[in-house]
Amino acid sequence: MVGVLGAFAELDGATGAIEEIKREGFTDFDVYSPTIRHELEHAVHPPQSKVRVFTLVGGLLGVTFGYWMAIWSSEYWPLVVGGKAIASWIPYTIIGFEVMILVGGLSTVAAIFILGGLPRLTRTIGYDPRFSGGDYGVFVRCNADRAESVESIFRSHGAGEVRRER
Amino acid sequence: MATIARPYSDPAGQRPNVPSADIQLPAVKSYEQVDEEIIGTLRPTGKWFLGLGLAIFCMLIGAAAWTYQIYWGLGQAGYEPPVMWGVYIITFVFWVGIGHAGTLISAILYLFRAGFRTTIYRAAEAMTVFAVLTAGLFPIIHIGRPWKFFWLIPYPNWRLLWPQFKSPLVWDVFAISTYLTISTTFLYIGLIPDIAVLRDRETNPVRRQIFAVLSLGWRNSEREWRHFARAYLFLAAFSTPLVLSVHSVVSFDFAMALTPGWHATIFPPYFVAGAIFSGFAMVWTIIIPIRKWWNLQHYVTLNHLDATAKVVLFTSLVVGSAYFIEFFIAWYSNVPVEQEYFWNRVFGQWWWAAWIMLTCNMILPMSLFSQKLRRNPTWLFILSLFINLGMWFERFVIVVPSLSHEFEPWQWSDYAPSWVDMSFLIGSFGWFFMWFLLFIKQLPVVAIAEVKEIIPPKLRGTVDSHGASAHGGH
Repeated sequence: MVGVLGAFAELDGATGAIEEIKREGFTDFDVYSPTIRHELEHAVHPPQSKVRVFTLVGGLLGVTFGYWMAIWSSEYWPLVVGGKAIASWIPYTIIGFEVMILVGGLSTVAAIFILGGLPRLTRTIGYDPRFSGGDYGVFVRCNADRAESVESIFRSHGAGEVRRER
Repeated sequence: MATIARPYSDPAGQRPNVPSADIQLPAVKSYEQVDEEIIGTLRPTGKWFLGLGLAIFCMLIGAAAWTYQIYWGLGQAGYEPPVMWGVYIITFVFWVGIGHAGTLISAILYLFRAGFRTTIYRAAEAMTVFAVLTAGLFPIIHIGRPWKFFWLIPYPNWRLLWPQFKSPLVWDVFAISTYLTISTTFLYIGLIPDIAVLRDRETNPVRRQIFAVLSLGWRNSEREWRHFARAYLFLAAFSTPLVLSVHSVVSFDFAMALTPGWHATIFPPYFVAGAIFSGFAMVWTIIIPIRKWWNLQHYVTLNHLDATAKVVLFTSLVVGSAYFIEFFIAWYSNVPVEQEYFWNRVFGQWWWAAWIMLTCNMILPMSLFSQKLRRNPTWLFILSLFINLGMWFERFVIVVPSLSHEFEPWQWSDYAPSWVDMSFLIGSFGWFFMWFLLFIKQLPVVAIAEVKEIIPPKLRGTVDSHGASAHGGH
């Protein structure tokens, strides 16, 4: 026994079910939605995403590397161009800026993968293809002895289908 | 991604003819309808095959010209000293400019919460990626020995040589490659939830497996959506200055030189406005036939076209102002070479190119002051072709007259593109449309997940404890 899955055609059914399973003390559950719905986020009340940390660190690393690369390679082979200093910070700002965007952007994408658990290579329990279509899903991980109470919560909130996942 | 437009709420209370920032889709009623109609566009049609065949034919013309040029050398292009930049650089700047609208629509309009982007941004993003791919070919073609292009990329090498980081051409390499990488990433990240929709509906096992891999096992979980929405916001925030920087850097290719007509501080904003102008025109060129042929008029509504027309009108006015400011500064500077150059541009040797530019980019877009014409897809499509033409000639007017009419009169010369140049130009359109047409038959051209955000969700009651109403407002 792994848990109980409820599929809801109506959004308020799903949010109501989430509220009640939280009140009943269930903490290990997943919620599925065909698109972003802030109502679900309010019901789940998750911690704030840490994506911003990846973005900040990536951006800082990028701008540092961009400046460093331009300055180091100029000093390595010093060649005066147009009477400018060997390491001219104004033109090198373009390199620093572009590399900041590049590394910061790719770090942000890495954050989706790391924090969101992607890529997921194996078939996951508790997912139903209809959750990418029109239905909302709630999957609660629990023991067999508590499954019945979860099922009754789901049914009382209008779940179209309730099933146990093993 | 993440809600930027309020869901459709009160049809009776809205004036039907006046678009607002949060444009709605009243004819789209349910998530199932969204899936069915947008996935329905993936079925190939006769017109699609015809278009693809034509695009491949044009692309092959360009490929043949490249083969010919590699064999016979760069002398086959129509360069005539001192005009050593011609169609290749003009077409490079043209395609980079086209590539600007996609990221503007997907990133900048996202940050500005402009709801009209929702149904057009996917096509615009794909357009951006393929336009930048096309643009990236031209500097490689232009160097004559394309197999040496990697010398522009900084990498540790046994000769201990590094690129000259003070050169605008190296800035281009960084700007364009960053733009291509971030635009492609932005497109792909936005596609992941939609690919998951395709995966869950696909019956062919091979295609299903491909979609499963491309969707990275996306499950639409709240955890995924939460990080996804945050990351999308930050990517948009990064892409916004990137859009502005890329064409600014491209303009530095010209503005950093002392050549008359190029050495102007107005170039970066002038280039960026022109890029947005031409990019939106290309969005019309591709989205207006798509909405008609695949019956997507209730997704890309007249309100959407009206809103984009206002952007085009505004950027046309900015570009037109830039043209006048160039003339004013030439006159006010009292530098004879500048004054002579600008006179020659409009009334001399290149008058025909300058007047094509002025007519297509300044005069014809004035028609968009008329709401009737802003809401006429046929006129917008025709206008988009004129703007595409005008913006190519804008770059022609920047590149060729300046080089052919520099400081020393004995250097003044003429320029005529050769058949090789024109074959590359045709080939670039073939290359761009080939990728775009292949894209729209494999992946959704309208963002499924994001359209669902503005569709009212099904509810049991009228209003739940979290504020979701039967009309979708919250």
